[in-house]
Amino acid sequence: MIIREFGLRQGRNALAAPLRRGQQCLRALSTETSGTPVATADPAVEAALQTNPENPTVPSLFARTAKPTRRRPVAPDTTKADWETAQQMRHNLRNVGAQVEHRYSPSDDVTLELLMASQAHMGHHASVWNPANARYIYGIRQGIHIISLEQTAAHLRRAARVVEEVAYHGGLILFVGTRPGQTQIVTQAARLAKACHLFTKWTPGTITNSDKILPGIPVEIVNEHDQPIGGFNQHLMDRRALVPDLVVCLNPLENFTMLRECSQANVPTIGIVDTNTEPTWVTYAIPANDDSLRCLAVIGSVLGRAGEAGQKRRMEDAKNGKVTWDTPSEIKQFMEIQQKRARWAKRAADEEAAASDTSGGLNGNSSGGGATKDSEVFDESMQELQMEVDAANADDVSPQLRKMARRTD
Amino acid sequence: MVRGPAQRQVRPARVYQTVTTLMEHRIKPRLAVQQPVWYKVVESIPPSEILTRPFPPQHRQPNPRARKASRLFQPQKLVYKEDELRKKFYTDHPWELARPRMIIEMDGKDALRCDWSKGLRQPGMPLSGECVVQRQMYLMENVPGITEDTAYDQVRKEFYKLRQEEEIERRIAQEEARMVGAYFGQTFNQVGMKLEDQQFERWKRWATREIEKIQGEQTAAYSSFDASEDPEAADLDVDSLREDLESTANIPPA
Repeated sequence: MIIREFGLRQGRNALAAPLRRGQQCLRALSTETSGTPVATADPAVEAALQTNPENPTVPSLFARTAKPTRRRPVAPDTTKADWETAQQMRHNLRNVGAQVEHRYSPSDDVTLELLMASQAHMGHHASVWNPANARYIYGIRQGIHIISLEQTAAHLRRAARVVEEVAYHGGLILFVGTRPGQTQIVTQAARLAKACHLFTKWTPGTITNSDKILPGIPVEIVNEHDQPIGGFNQHLMDRRALVPDLVVCLNPLENFTMLRECSQANVPTIGIVDTNTEPTWVTYAIPANDDSLRCLAVIGSVLGRAGEAGQKRRMEDAKNGKVTWDTPSEIKQFMEIQQKRARWAKRAADEEAAASDTSGGLNGNSSGGGATKDSEVFDESMQELQMEVDAANADDVSPQLRKMARRTD
Repeated sequence: MVRGPAQRQVRPARVYQTVTTLMEHRIKPRLAVQQPVWYKVVESIPPSEILTRPFPPQHRQPNPRARKASRLFQPQKLVYKEDELRKKFYTDHPWELARPRMIIEMDGKDALRCDWSKGLRQPGMPLSGECVVQRQMYLMENVPGITEDTAYDQVRKEFYKLRQEEEIERRIAQEEARMVGAYFGQTFNQVGMKLEDQQFERWKRWATREIEKIQGEQTAAYSSFDASEDPEAADLDVDSLREDLESTANIPPA
């Protein structure tokens, strides 16, 4: 068999036919277009040469390679008619078919049944588990670990309490979920809790290198009613970027860098911990299935609602004159400096006025009225300044930093 | 998926202690560390204890003969009584697994709305093998003196009857629809046969082309030889291919 094939192949090479398209190759390789008596194998070209000797002869190369273009029949453009037909059809069929109605009506309370229906109990394959999660695991079913829903509910309750209290104390909360499909969950939770959200990649160094990563992010200073206060432009210009007070992470597995930065900056974190996740990366772990969007939606909504409740309580307390947070130390320092400056300016103005008074007394008593008028004008301006500073410093109107715009990646 | 290094972290759980230390012992004497917003919160709601290996929930009877503990701190397998019944039913009726089934629930309380004393048909639940298993479980637990096999036989027959009813209803509905002018396209089997035929036709065209190519090569290689000296090697190859082709595609022999 092999020998036969060998013979076939080698024999074929040995007895290779002479160049079949010798004429064509010759013509293709020749560059001269003169009337040398090259044997033309193309009868059409030969005929053309013979019939029209006066006409400029087409180079044989071109004549051979150029093919007649095949024109497609031009179809009439029916786009408009088609569109109108489709519209007419849609109009005619608008009442035909089933009426799709929304049947999903979530209840207010989160039960163990709801957690199970949203697949919060399904962990990963038993072989990829992290033994640190043994506390949260109920058993093994069909090869996968089953998370104990009682543990989930208990930890979820604890996390919700933390979110509510941090929101009550005016903290900056950040919701992070960077897997595809988590965008809506994260944004909804952030909207409810008046927090920030992140659904794209966490830029490494956003906390630890924020001077380079987040320069010039707009920040505003608000009072306890969340109304912006003016007069802090100078402070805002040389202020560093904000650091969140609480970070909620839906997928800690992909956000190891962020959690590490948070731990370096002493920021408590809440994370959803599946059976293959390391639970020590976060401060508060919620054992649940982080691969199910339904489960994440339930948990994100619970945390968002908790934040909403905290914000609501905070605003009510503010209406009753109770402020639930302290002014940040940088702002306090800035305001002290401003007050000192105002005092110095006032003292200097007083001294200047006294000096002008004595000189006016020496010169004559006609300018006394003018001096008092000047001092009155200055006093008014100083009073305004003082009022502004007082207003900023007073207990009932304390400024608080709030992030204005979300990060735009 | 990007995974971080699977290493333990100490700081996240000890945020409160770290900040307390920072506030008590100033690194720069003039610079006071302000109490963070979350400080009182974390103080009142501390993180839960982790990294201690608990005794897992026990789902099986301990073996009295066991001399030493095995897998003492590992989660145990969850085994339920229904598993055996389910296995038996689906071994006997494997095509029941091919029926589509809805596994999404609204509030997770669908099981509470079923009353298996009433029969196999339950509100909000299509007839399936799960109905048989649940009904059989109910009978085994509530009817005195009934064995597993008896219960299985009884429920199985109820199930067959209901399936037959469904089948008849479907057939009648189809006939009625055909009578008033509905038409149904090809069945799945017909579509499958059509696709298969297309592939056979493709193969036939390809095989014909290959035969022509091989024959052309042979004639080109041995054009200067006598016809009597043709090697049989190539002939064999072509012959076998042609036989294949004729047997499968019924081409008239050349």
